[in-house]
Amino acid sequence: MSLEELCQAVESYDTSMAEALTRKLLDEGFNPHEMISALTETMNKLGDMFSRLEIFLPQLVLSGEALTTVVDIIRPKIMESGEPGPSRGKVVLGVAKGDLHEIGKNIVKLMLETNGFEVKDVGYDVDSITFIKEAEAMEADIIGVSSLMTTTMPGQKEIIELLKDKGLRDRYKVVIGGAPTGQEWADIIGADLYCKDATSAPRLMAELLQQ
Amino acid sequence: MNAKERVMRLVNHQKPDRMPCFAANTAATYDQMEQVQAFWPEGHENGEIMAKLAIAAHTILGFDAVRVPFCQTFEAYALGCKIKPGRGVDGVEGVPGIDHPPPYKLDDTPVFPDDFLSRGRIPELLKAVRILKKELGDEVPIVGGIVGPFTVAAALLDTVTLLKATYKEPGKIRRFLKVAEKAGTILAKALIDAGADIISCEDMTASPELIAPATYRDFELEYQRKQFEAISVPKILHICGNVDLIVEWMGQTGAEILSIEPKASVRLARQKCGPGVILMGGVDTATTLFLKDAETVKRKCEESIADGVQILAPGCAVAPGTATENLLAMLEVAKAHQTF
Repeated sequence: MSLEELCQAVESYDTSMAEALTRKLLDEGFNPHEMISALTETMNKLGDMFSRLEIFLPQLVLSGEALTTVVDIIRPKIMESGEPGPSRGKVVLGVAKGDLHEIGKNIVKLMLETNGFEVKDVGYDVDSITFIKEAEAMEADIIGVSSLMTTTMPGQKEIIELLKDKGLRDRYKVVIGGAPTGQEWADIIGADLYCKDATSAPRLMAELLQQ
Repeated sequence: MNAKERVMRLVNHQKPDRMPCFAANTAATYDQMEQVQAFWPEGHENGEIMAKLAIAAHTILGFDAVRVPFCQTFEAYALGCKIKPGRGVDGVEGVPGIDHPPPYKLDDTPVFPDDFLSRGRIPELLKAVRILKKELGDEVPIVGGIVGPFTVAAALLDTVTLLKATYKEPGKIRRFLKVAEKAGTILAKALIDAGADIISCEDMTASPELIAPATYRDFELEYQRKQFEAISVPKILHICGNVDLIVEWMGQTGAEILSIEPKASVRLARQKCGPGVILMGGVDTATTLFLKDAETVKRKCEESIADGVQILAPGCAVAPGTATENLLAMLEVAKAHQTF
């Protein structure tokens, strides 16, 4: 019984098996950081496979749920050990005003949290000003906005304009994503980054923060 | 040859005078609304205003067909879903969407209401079609929009619940697909009775970007086929995103016309579906039509025509902020293609 079996259980979205294995491994003194590391690799692999449509969204969602259950069990052990590990960045994440499509944003959240980012999920149909208020409250590094309809893309632009009006543009990196958006739209509105998919989000956002 | 003759000739595999150009999805824009003085949200709710705005696709854009409705919420609302009105930036109205919470859980048995056609805004939609028939009946074909079974089922259950069920408890989704199919079919028949010449079925949730291709083949195909068999007029099947992995089965649903986005391969669709199916598409609505200039629009249209589209169309729902100039550019291209 091993870490590999745990990762396999997450990959095959067998949540009860994953839970049981997690508890056993922790009881046996397995290093919780190593467990998170291996699980992160699994999730990243699944994200990659999804971006190539080698696996499909239902599996990603189900494995994500299994992973979240497992991480919730492991997290207290990491807190106990007193070394939470560095946060790679703080992100306010949400779906633009008027838009109700949450799935993509939720997968991004999953990938970011799995990869060590701290995420405040502000939900869907979020007023532009709310993104900014939440970023201030959290002292966020990044504001991440998703739009799944051309009618709601202007919300992404509005956030950037509001930041400029308030003299806050330099304080936060603005990252956009969503099916109808793209690099061109990001360039037009002055976003700092366009993320093509959830799987590339952790790496690209980390690179962005290093700049 | 008027627009109706043109479109119906093509649909019946006869030669039209030139390539038709019209939309399988909404093509309503804010500019058209200004020009005909018919706006949202009233255009989503009031039959007269809906018809007035729909006519603009022909009178202003020159499109060879008009289409109602402008959103994908009619069946879902009538089946008990919550609808959130569209909201845009600067108070500009958008398109209504399905809100949380959904009316059913996976273990429930959904109910098809006997008074389905009287519910929600369906009566106004049918009124709009009757008005369109009266105004345009012999000149311009009327496209009535329905939503595909998987997408209506996703509204009943919430999309994520349905997605998970396709892998974990697939047996439980059939009763939702059954009600969803019935809703679209009954709406389609009512639209035809009111005067619709073509039915356009949008099935976004059936895209490989959401469900596994095997799920389309093993579940959706059966209900889509059943639905299309019951619809007596030509049908358009529209699924968003890259549908390469399912286009073969889309071709088996009984749809006379497949409407696909430029993300998907028209050539592959032809190869998989054979010469009998009509292919519709042309230019990406979110990037090209919305953000680029008319010359780029024309170039992209020509590329799609070279790949084999037979009806030039926006690839998906037109962004309401799209410039009229870009849509007019599409007509220019269509008019120049007399043999294809």
